[in-house]
Amino acid sequence: MSTWRAATRIAAKDLRIELRTRDVLTAIGLFALLIVVVTSFSLPTTGVHRDAVAAGVLWMAFLFSILLGVGRAVAMEYEDACIDGLVTSPVPRESIFLGKVLSNLAFVVAVQVLILPIAVVLLQLEPGRGIGLLALTVALATLALVALATLFSTMAVHTRTREVILPVLVVPFAIPVMIAAVKATEVALAGGTPVAATSWLLVLVAGAALFLLLGLATYRHLVEE
Amino acid sequence: MTHTPTAPPRKDPDAAPRTARRTGLRWLAVTTAVTLTLLLYGALVHAPQDRLQGPVQRIFYLHVPSAWVGMLAFLVVFVASIGVLMTRSRRWDRVAASSAEVGVVFTTVVILTGMLWARPMWGVFWSWEPRLTSYFVLWLMYVTYLALRSYVVEPDRRARYAAVLGVVAFLNVPLVYVSVRLWRSLHPGPVVANPDGPQLPGEMLAVLLVGIVAFTLLWLLLLWLRVDLAARRDALEAREAMTS
Repeated sequence: MSTWRAATRIAAKDLRIELRTRDVLTAIGLFALLIVVVTSFSLPTTGVHRDAVAAGVLWMAFLFSILLGVGRAVAMEYEDACIDGLVTSPVPRESIFLGKVLSNLAFVVAVQVLILPIAVVLLQLEPGRGIGLLALTVALATLALVALATLFSTMAVHTRTREVILPVLVVPFAIPVMIAAVKATEVALAGGTPVAATSWLLVLVAGAALFLLLGLATYRHLVEE
Repeated sequence: MTHTPTAPPRKDPDAAPRTARRTGLRWLAVTTAVTLTLLLYGALVHAPQDRLQGPVQRIFYLHVPSAWVGMLAFLVVFVASIGVLMTRSRRWDRVAASSAEVGVVFTTVVILTGMLWARPMWGVFWSWEPRLTSYFVLWLMYVTYLALRSYVVEPDRRARYAAVLGVVAFLNVPLVYVSVRLWRSLHPGPVVANPDGPQLPGEMLAVLLVGIVAFTLLWLLLLWLRVDLAARRDALEAREAMTS
């Protein structure tokens, strides 16, 4: 079976489980909403810096819901030793990584599609023409963050602290992607087009490519038992 | 002459290389001490006073060599991590772990000396200046690396996981630098003067070079001792595992 086909099978398995239980989606959807609400209370969401604050609020919500969701989805493989079945099955190891990235991406994007309109209303945003740049930024940065979190959560499940260490592992490495995501989102919320944020988009493309390729190259060293 | 039968001296196959290593270590330690003393003299006496910055500028002779050694140490972590992934050798893992630890110490020195310099020059201990910020993020990544090592109990697993982190961290450095630079240049803030232009007077450049040599030797010495310690620790762990 080709790497890609095996990956889509693994992702389909995750989506099927999720559609039956709705554990991850409910948890990270509510969590993202709560972060938007709580940070709105603690930061000035009106005035000249409104777009900058809103961009920060959005990305804090996205980052932490990614950490929560990916951590859970990867730890799930280790319950009832599902990962052992995957590792011994005749598919390339890269497919397992790719499959987990795909299913995690599906969960996170589903939550983002839900949260973005709510945030636009709650934070009184008017992206207008910036909607294209906003979508592009969210897509690229989410891909980068999900790939990074998927790779690192495979390590986190085998530590003494389990999932607790995942945010500690991911956040320092996510700093460049977070800076670029927040800044590009700020441009988008002010109505900017992708041309106005080219440098930031390039950082995001580089981040997504780097974490995806590194994940594919090193994942087999993490699941080898 | 009476011949007294004595048992032939027990041959220790490691004796010769061990003595050679010990001699090498001693020479390295002496050279490091001498160049560090030279650096101290150069930085405090030989180098001319900076007309604008005054004596504060002399911290530069510790700051820049530490920054150099920090990068060198993390490059070695990267190379040793690839070594671990390719060969699964514990020796590479010991080098990676030791170099990361020493690198974090030097990066801490970079940040602290940077702050000490910034206070009289910029009026604040911390400014989100691109290079300082990049080093801070670097520091965070490698502290995380050390944290992960302490959280994974099983030695072989620890080596593999740390190696993956060591590779990701080093390849992330250019991205960190570019994003932090862009972030500061697009953000209006206090204009930060470039403290070290390329036109450095000869004496200053000479002292800086002595500093870089001295700190590189110091790094080598610390790395050597730390790898030695790691090897002993591994041997002890193996012996305990055998007897229990």
